[in-house]
Amino acid sequence: MTVREIAPVEQCVEASEVVARLQSAPSSFPPFAPEIIQFCGRFSRLIFQNKPARGFPELQALAFWMRPAGVGPLNDAVRRLETRHTRLVPRGVVFHIPPANVDTIFVYSWIVSMLMGNRNLIRLSSSVTPQVDLLCRILNEALAESDPVFRNQTIIVQYGHEREITELFSQSADVRVIWGGDQTVNAIRSIPLPPHASELTFPDRFSLCAIRAENYLGLDEAQGIGLVEKFYNDTFWFDQMACSSPRLMLWCGDKAECGRASSLFFCRLQECIRRKGYAPETGIRMNRFTFACRAILDRPVTAYQDFQGDLPVLTLGSLENFSRDHCGGGLMLEFYSSGLDALAPAVTHRDQTLTQFGFDSIELETFVKLLNGRGIDRIVPIGEALHFQHFWDGYDLFQSLSRSVYVQT
Amino acid sequence: MTEDAAFDQLLESPQYSLTQPLKESLLLPLLNALTDHHRARCPEYAKLISLLHPELKQAGSPAEIPFIPVGLFKTHVLCSIPPDEVFKTLTSSGTTGQQVSQIFLDRETARRQTVALGRIMAQVLGPERVPMIVVDSNGLVRDRGRFSARAAGVLGMLNFGRNHFYALDEHMDLDENGLRAFLEKFGSKPFLIFGFTFMVWQYFFERIRDMGLDLSQGTLVHSGGWKKLQERAVSNVEFRRSFEEAAKLKRIFNFYGMVEQVGSVYVEAEDGLLYPPNFADIIIRDPATMRELPPSEPGVIQVLSALPLSYPGHSILTEDLGVIHSIDGSSSERRGKAFRVLGRVPKSELRGCSDTHAVEVAA
Repeated sequence: MTVREIAPVEQCVEASEVVARLQSAPSSFPPFAPEIIQFCGRFSRLIFQNKPARGFPELQALAFWMRPAGVGPLNDAVRRLETRHTRLVPRGVVFHIPPANVDTIFVYSWIVSMLMGNRNLIRLSSSVTPQVDLLCRILNEALAESDPVFRNQTIIVQYGHEREITELFSQSADVRVIWGGDQTVNAIRSIPLPPHASELTFPDRFSLCAIRAENYLGLDEAQGIGLVEKFYNDTFWFDQMACSSPRLMLWCGDKAECGRASSLFFCRLQECIRRKGYAPETGIRMNRFTFACRAILDRPVTAYQDFQGDLPVLTLGSLENFSRDHCGGGLMLEFYSSGLDALAPAVTHRDQTLTQFGFDSIELETFVKLLNGRGIDRIVPIGEALHFQHFWDGYDLFQSLSRSVYVQT
Repeated sequence: MTEDAAFDQLLESPQYSLTQPLKESLLLPLLNALTDHHRARCPEYAKLISLLHPELKQAGSPAEIPFIPVGLFKTHVLCSIPPDEVFKTLTSSGTTGQQVSQIFLDRETARRQTVALGRIMAQVLGPERVPMIVVDSNGLVRDRGRFSARAAGVLGMLNFGRNHFYALDEHMDLDENGLRAFLEKFGSKPFLIFGFTFMVWQYFFERIRDMGLDLSQGTLVHSGGWKKLQERAVSNVEFRRSFEEAAKLKRIFNFYGMVEQVGSVYVEAEDGLLYPPNFADIIIRDPATMRELPPSEPGVIQVLSALPLSYPGHSILTEDLGVIHSIDGSSSERRGKAFRVLGRVPKSELRGCSDTHAVEVAA
């Protein structure tokens, strides 16, 4: 069973040899060791210096996050997880399985794992996006400049869907991290892990945005457009397919206010889409139109607007049995509500990120208490939907990718 | 003029003889009436139109007739007749696991489709019924209540021939002896060959290319898209040249049509371009704005047809790309819009956190 190794060396290699190298590599760094922070700095710098990488805003955001000034302070958060009697130590080997149409989000969970001192094995599918291809090449440059100890601490391999290879890698993992659709997660979950190992899953999620209509209407023009630009980044960077990109817009207020805020907001969003030159492919547009027509037939849709083809918006009359199916590519569902609490009954475990504008911390905390764990893992201001945090899908990744050792004298 | 009179005029005038302005003036009231007809009878269609076009008035030109995406017929029952009037259900030919379109016909719509196809084929083939080779197996058309698009296509064409010979068995194997016997008996006078483009190439042409047959009296009518042949690098030009070289077959007519609008087929003329029959038309739309595009600008094909009474399919946005070559070009034999089909809209894969490879992972 051979796999294609992408990093640290580009070569074909026996899967068993990959396992042997990982297991023989000493876990020589404690969480947040200076060497790891330095490596992040080097990787970040090489991304910034790479000309082709400048064309990919998500790589720039990644490089920004990875600066020592960005990841270094996270050490404080990690130290707060330790008590008088507990110390955090690495788990060992973490096996990462990003989705087939992989994008850069998996890099964050890998870096967090590396920061905690783990050794990492990453499986990429046989086709990768140009962004990921570029990133792997930059990673190899960074590894070439690094302490040899680093070189076998992260191994990236590429192979198809051979179950035997995934079985072999799973057998040598202390943690397995699965990103992907529900079906992928289920399929990989059926492959056993060693008894002591744990698993983090990042399945299909749905995200939404809530705006208090009155507060939006109260913004001056520049502020109103500014907020729309942030929403645009949240939504359109990944063609609305990132799990944290909003797909449902909740307007809070009385009906008339909601209607006014909605028209103003979406008109400005259309202008923004034009300004940024967002132009999805014909297939995406056709799919979006067909999806909208199906939604009209299957859901309680009360109005349809398409903003000259740039932005289909479907207004829902109810969120009862709200379907999370979505076509992506820039289609918004919207619902008018008296307040956040009216949303609560519709929330399920599928719901991940709520981006919001116009609510104070007491309202948001009351809302979280009202939900009481039924769904929603993150509530962040509009513009931060895609900002990765170590709190993701309900996990504190620093905690989940380390073990607490209890010490008492 | 009443709608019936306009319909009859479109049907009875020699096909392809009407100039675009005359054709549109006859077609427009029929299409407007069909929009009203289906709104009154198909609740799903009524809901779609009321939301997509809340202020819909009578369309002032065919381009203003509302359209629905062809994909809806795959997921929804769109029917303008009570269940007991369903005379035939047509389904598109999809591969296993793919959703297929369902089209519900009553007797009147089925009759209109048959008559319409007859008018088109009479223009292409002449008025006489001639002996016919069907490049398919006769097992295909046994179940007469429910039809795949392939079976419906074959059945629709059977009327234009006699002494039908099914050239393939159920394993898609060519009956060489039967074919030779057919040609011995009928091959010296005009005869018709009909089949789906890919099958005609793969199961018929590839078997006969070295047999030295003389098909010079034949007329080949074929349809069904070029996708599979493009994978084998066979273009329309290559297809025609190969048949001529191998079997002296020159009269070849490709046509564009779909199960969602049976009867409204767009047949290729000698110039290699496709032409709408009198009672149907196409519009090319810009996929970004959905605006109508002028000749020579490629876009998404919308098909209009005055035939469908039993289902709301008189105006459908397809998933095919095409381009209008000219309108009312120089030939008086072929008026109206001359166009080419450029293939399917490519399926786009969106990036993101999810994927659909689970089955392979689990395999």
